[in-house]
Amino acid sequence: MIDQRIFEDLQTKIDEETTVRDLHEIVQTLARKVKPVLDDAAVEIIAQKQEVLRLKAVADQHPFYKYNGLWTRELQNLVASIELCAWLGGLQEYKGPSSASFMTIEDVGKFLEIPVNLKEQDAFHLTIEEYLLALIALVEELVSIVLSDRPRSPVKITDDVEQSRLAVNSVTLGDYERPLQIGNFIKDLFAGFQLLNLKNDILRKRSDGIKYNVKKVEDVVYDLSLRGLIPKSETAA
Amino acid sequence: MGTKRSWEGQAVVNMTSNGSAGPTISIFENFRDGLDEHHDRRERIIKASRDITALSKKIIFALQRVRTTNQPIPPKIAQENDTRLEQIQKLFASVTPDLTSINAWRYQRQISGGIQEYIEAISFDHYLRTETLITHAEVAARLPGILVTEEDYLMGLFDLTGEMMRFAVTALSSGNTTPTDAAKAGILLDLRAVRARCEALSVPGRHRSFMYKDLFKKTEVMQNSVEKVERAAYGILVRGSERPSGWTPDLSGPMEVETR
Repeated sequence: MIDQRIFEDLQTKIDEETTVRDLHEIVQTLARKVKPVLDDAAVEIIAQKQEVLRLKAVADQHPFYKYNGLWTRELQNLVASIELCAWLGGLQEYKGPSSASFMTIEDVGKFLEIPVNLKEQDAFHLTIEEYLLALIALVEELVSIVLSDRPRSPVKITDDVEQSRLAVNSVTLGDYERPLQIGNFIKDLFAGFQLLNLKNDILRKRSDGIKYNVKKVEDVVYDLSLRGLIPKSETAA
Repeated sequence: MGTKRSWEGQAVVNMTSNGSAGPTISIFENFRDGLDEHHDRRERIIKASRDITALSKKIIFALQRVRTTNQPIPPKIAQENDTRLEQIQKLFASVTPDLTSINAWRYQRQISGGIQEYIEAISFDHYLRTETLITHAEVAARLPGILVTEEDYLMGLFDLTGEMMRFAVTALSSGNTTPTDAAKAGILLDLRAVRARCEALSVPGRHRSFMYKDLFKKTEVMQNSVEKVERAAYGILVRGSERPSGWTPDLSGPMEVETR
């Protein structure tokens, strides 16, 4: 009655989650790294795609929602990695015609070669909820990039010497436009999430965190703009 | 195309402050429609499940007033219950469209409570009339278009043993059944058989977290039910003659808790 193969494949999938986690670390350092790293991440992600297709092959033989809970976390993590890689400039060839600054659910589906948001057909797919939870994970990931890019304690920097150190840091650590850019992106997504009528479920709990993340990034942007570290054209908004 | 960025992350085209809110908003409006549809459907199913549970409980209460087994249900009780069963059928029919294809498993947990209570009711009715267990196929045949899982069927049977226990104890204490009869051919024998069969079932440990979650708890409750009948039979047989007429065994033990 119970097909053992599905569980074997799921175990493999769980083991692979570790790989996806490692990937997160690679992707995290991307912010201040260069294209080769991004390419490495893309290679890892494309390798994961094969695993998803293997899971799909087995899962398709069973009612989708009967076992969905077993792989949903891993799939969300993978989609979050895909989104992060794409946001940082990778995987651009998979971005669809949408003018959104992130990969749409359709883009992700096309990339992974799996259907998305199936309403009638009982088959393996990426659900709206999984996709939205992955976007929330993307927000969290981007915010941690902002915070790790930030000079240790910008609030304490008062004199010109420190100011110049900061300027040096901006060259070595990263540019100060990025927090602003990330801030704008997160605000954009936050506006989107506010359109949803969420019930008291996981999506609600997780999406509630976005507004704190918006604030965190705004604090950084404020610190930076206060010290004239953001080019005028960018702060005009 | 979307906002272009250099590899260092700078926006090549100026990042939005208000301009590109457009695509995000319309994307999320689509998601909102999808999620609303899901929540509405989910709530309809939960509501139907609750109503089905309430009606099933009433059927069970009515059946506890029956005094005989292996005979048709007395007309008055049968009539009452037929009305309730009709209402239940309508409730199931009302959510059948919400539970087709991919949605059968999506909302299984939401309808499961109602299905289990319904199985408890019709299996009790079935047992009283025929002294046999209703089969999974017979249950499924009564619910066209509804997914009846083996798990729900089994959980319904566990609850049935609780009802059989109550029925047996009442029958024994009212003097309609002698303890010896019950143990030799009647309800106690059947209870023991169900218990033995259920105890023989095994779910591999690593699956227990997501299938047959209630199995262990329900097995315990069932074991207690069987033992209560055994104790009641013993008590009546050994000391029955010393009791005033109208005496019933004490059922206020700690183990009557149902798990749902």
